[in-house]
Amino acid sequence: MEMPQYDPNTKPEFELYTIPSHSSWFRWDDIHETERTALKEFFDGSSISRTPKIYKEYRDFMINKYREEPSRRLTFTQVRKSLVGDVSLLHKVFRFLDEWGLINFGAVSRGDDSDNRDSSLGDTELKNQVKIEEGAPNGVRVVALPNSLKPISVPNSGADGSGNGKVAVAGETGVKLPPLASYSDVFGDLVKLKGFKCGSCGEQCNSGCYEYSKGSFVICEKCFKNGNYGEDKSKDDFRFSDLGGNSLTHGATWTEAETLLLLESVMRHGDNWELVAQNVPTKSKLDCISKLIELPFGEFMMGSAHEMNSCPTGSLNSLKEGQSASSENQNDVKMEDQVHDQMNESKQNGDAATEEPPAKRKRIAPLSDGGSTLIKQVAHISTMVGPHVTAAAAEAAVAALCNESSCPREIFDGDEDYLANGLSSPTMVSDPERALQVDASKMEENQSDLTETQDASSEKNDVPLNLRIRTATATALGAAAANAKLLADQEDREIEHLVAIIIETQMKKLHSKINYFDDLELIMEKEYNEMMQLKECLVEERIDVLERALKTGVSKWRS
Amino acid sequence: MKLPATSSSKAPVKFRMPTADNLVPIRLDIETEGQRYKDAFTWNPSDPDSEVVVFAKRTVRDLKLPPQFITQIAQSIQTQLTEFRSYEGQDMYTAEKIVPIKLDLRVNHTLIKDHFLWDLNNYESDPEEFARTFCNDMGIEDPEVGPAVAFAIREQLYEIAIQSVASAREIKISKKGRRGAEHAISSKGGGNALDLMKLFRYNSSVVRKRKEWYVYEPIVDILSNEEVDALEAREDRNTR
Repeated sequence: MEMPQYDPNTKPEFELYTIPSHSSWFRWDDIHETERTALKEFFDGSSISRTPKIYKEYRDFMINKYREEPSRRLTFTQVRKSLVGDVSLLHKVFRFLDEWGLINFGAVSRGDDSDNRDSSLGDTELKNQVKIEEGAPNGVRVVALPNSLKPISVPNSGADGSGNGKVAVAGETGVKLPPLASYSDVFGDLVKLKGFKCGSCGEQCNSGCYEYSKGSFVICEKCFKNGNYGEDKSKDDFRFSDLGGNSLTHGATWTEAETLLLLESVMRHGDNWELVAQNVPTKSKLDCISKLIELPFGEFMMGSAHEMNSCPTGSLNSLKEGQSASSENQNDVKMEDQVHDQMNESKQNGDAATEEPPAKRKRIAPLSDGGSTLIKQVAHISTMVGPHVTAAAAEAAVAALCNESSCPREIFDGDEDYLANGLSSPTMVSDPERALQVDASKMEENQSDLTETQDASSEKNDVPLNLRIRTATATALGAAAANAKLLADQEDREIEHLVAIIIETQMKKLHSKINYFDDLELIMEKEYNEMMQLKECLVEERIDVLERALKTGVSKWRS
Repeated sequence: MKLPATSSSKAPVKFRMPTADNLVPIRLDIETEGQRYKDAFTWNPSDPDSEVVVFAKRTVRDLKLPPQFITQIAQSIQTQLTEFRSYEGQDMYTAEKIVPIKLDLRVNHTLIKDHFLWDLNNYESDPEEFARTFCNDMGIEDPEVGPAVAFAIREQLYEIAIQSVASAREIKISKKGRRGAEHAISSKGGGNALDLMKLFRYNSSVVRKRKEWYVYEPIVDILSNEEVDALEAREDRNTR
C-alpha cells in the first residue's frame, strides 16, 4: 500500500513509498486514463498479446520489483528477463513508469549516465573511480518535480517532513538529499587523480600504473614489481592501466609551441594523422585530433588544409603566424639578428628592397634602435595583410612621401622600374608563404631572390636608408589602413543590407495588415447586403400583412 | 500485388526491415594477400550508391589497408544491397509474430549471451535503443559493444523477414484457396514464432516462473587477453 503524498502528522503504520504528486492517479486495482492514452497498444484490441490484463501484470510486476529495494535503481534488463513479451513494448512500459515516477523515484541517480560518459574524463579508469558524486554538481539545480522550478532544500532529517512539502520523506525509505557540493568537492578528486600519484611510494606514475580493482588505490609500476602492494592487497587484485594512450595527464596540457606545431603539421599533412602525430612529438594521434576539434577554427583547418587560397583560413593562419612570429621575435635577443629580421620582413613587403653591405648595417644599428619596436609592430601588421594590398599600399606610401618633398620623388622615379621588379618578386615569394610559417630559411630565400635583382641594378643603391625606413613604415601603415577601410566598407554594406531587410519586413507587415482589412471590408459589405435583403423581406411581409388586413375589413383599423 | 485471401490475418505489406529505421545490416569478411578485414555495420538503403565507393575508399585509408580492398569492399556492399533491394518489391506477411532473438557474440573483450523476445509486427522497434539500454544497464564501457548488439539483432530480424517473404511467395504459388492459405500462413508462420495463443491466454500469467528467469537473463563476460586469443584462433579455424 502506498500513499501518494506524505502527511507529516500521521504515524506511518505500514511501509510508505514515495511517488510524485502528479502520479497520484495511480491505483493498484485500476487502469487510469493516463495509462490508456500513453500505452494505446494494450487497449485497442489489436492483438492477443496486448490486453489490459497483460498490461496490468507488467506494470504491477515492475513496480513491485522496484519496491523490493527502493533505494537501488531498477534497470530494464532486470525486469525483462522475468516477463514474457516483446522487449520493445516492455521497454515502453518501463519508460512510462519511470517518467511518471512510479518506479525509480527514490533511487540514486546513475553515476555513469550517458551524459557523463562523454565528459572530458576520457580515461576509463577515472570513470570507475569517480563514480558517484556527492550531491548535484555545480550549476545544476535540484528540483522536486521534473518540470517545476522550485528548488529542493535539504531536509533536516529523514524522519520529519522536509523543508518544502513537495518532497515526501517517509520513514525508512526516505530520500535524504546530501548538501550541494562545490567545485572542489566534485572535481577535487579528479584533479588529484590526474596526477596519478602512486599510493605506496608517493611518486608520480607517468607511463603506467596498477590499479586496485576493488577500490581506488593506485600504485606505480616500480612498486608493483617490488611487491609493495600496500596493506591487505594481493597481486591479483591489481589491474594494469596504461596511461600512455588515453590518460588525462598527457592529453590535458597543450603548450603554445605544441599547438603551433600541431597547426603547422595539419596544414602540411591535412588528414594524415599519423604524420601529424609524428610531428608533434609529445602528443598521440587521438590527442591531436581532439585538440584540433577543440580549437575554435580547428574544423576549418582540417577542411582547408589542401586549399591554399581560402581567405578566412589564410588570414587566420597568417594572424597565428603573426602572433607566433612576434613570440619568436620576442625571444630573440641578438641585436643584429633583430635588425636583420626586421629589415627582411620589411623588405618582403614589397618595398624597394636593397641589400646594404653588412658593414653599413651594423653602423646604423644604434640609429634604428630607437624605432625598433615600431618597425617590429609595423612589420607584423603588414604580414597580416595580403601581398596585393601591400603592393598598393606601398605605391600609395611612396606617393605620400613624394608629396612631402620633391627630392625623394626624383630618387624614386629613377627607381621605378626597380620598384616594380622588387615588388613582383616578393609578391610571388610571399604568395605561397601565406599559408606557411614564417621561417628564417624562407627569409634567406627571399634575400637571395632580392640579391639577384639587386645585383642587376646595383647602381640604383643611392636611395638613402632613412627614406627607405620611412617608406617601409608608411607602407605598412598604409596596408593596415587599407585593410581597415575594407572592413569598414564591409560593415557599411552589412548595415545597409540589414536595414533593407528591416524595411522589407515592415512593408510586408503593412501589406498583410492591408489585406486583412480588405478582407474585413468584404465581409462587412456582404453582411450589409444581407441586412438590406432582410430589411426588404421584412418590408414585404409588412405590406403583405397590411394588405390582408385591408382585405378583411377596414373596420379593424378604424377601431 | 495483394492477395485478397488474406483478410483475416494481416494483409501483406511491402518488404522492409521491421524496425523504426529501415537500415540494412551489412557484413564484410574479405581476405586478400594475407590480410583479413572483418566488419559489420548498418547501411541506409536510401543512400545513393555512389556513397558505397566513397565509404570503401575512406575505410581503406583509415585502416591503412592495401588498395585492392577498395573494389572488394565496394563490391561486397553492393551485392548485399542489391539483395536487399530485390526483396523490397515483394510482399511479406507480418502476422503477429513474436520471435525469440538470441545473442551470442564477442566484441573485443566482452562476451555477450542473451535471449529475449521481439515482436516482428512492431514497426517502431529500435534495436539501437535496445542496445543502448543494454549497455547502460550492464555497465559496459566498450563503445563497440552497443553497435555490435544492435547489428546482431538487425541481422536476425533481416533473416526472419526474408523467410517471411519466401513463405509469402510459396503461399501464392500453392493456390490452395482461402482456407488453405490461412492454414498455410499459420503453419508457415515459422517454427520460431511463439504460439501466442498459448502464451497470452486469459488464465495464464505473463510473468515467468522464477526458475526460468536465468534463461532470459543476459550474461556479460569480460575476457582476458589469452581467452580472446584462444577464441579468435578457434573462430579462424572454423571459418577456413
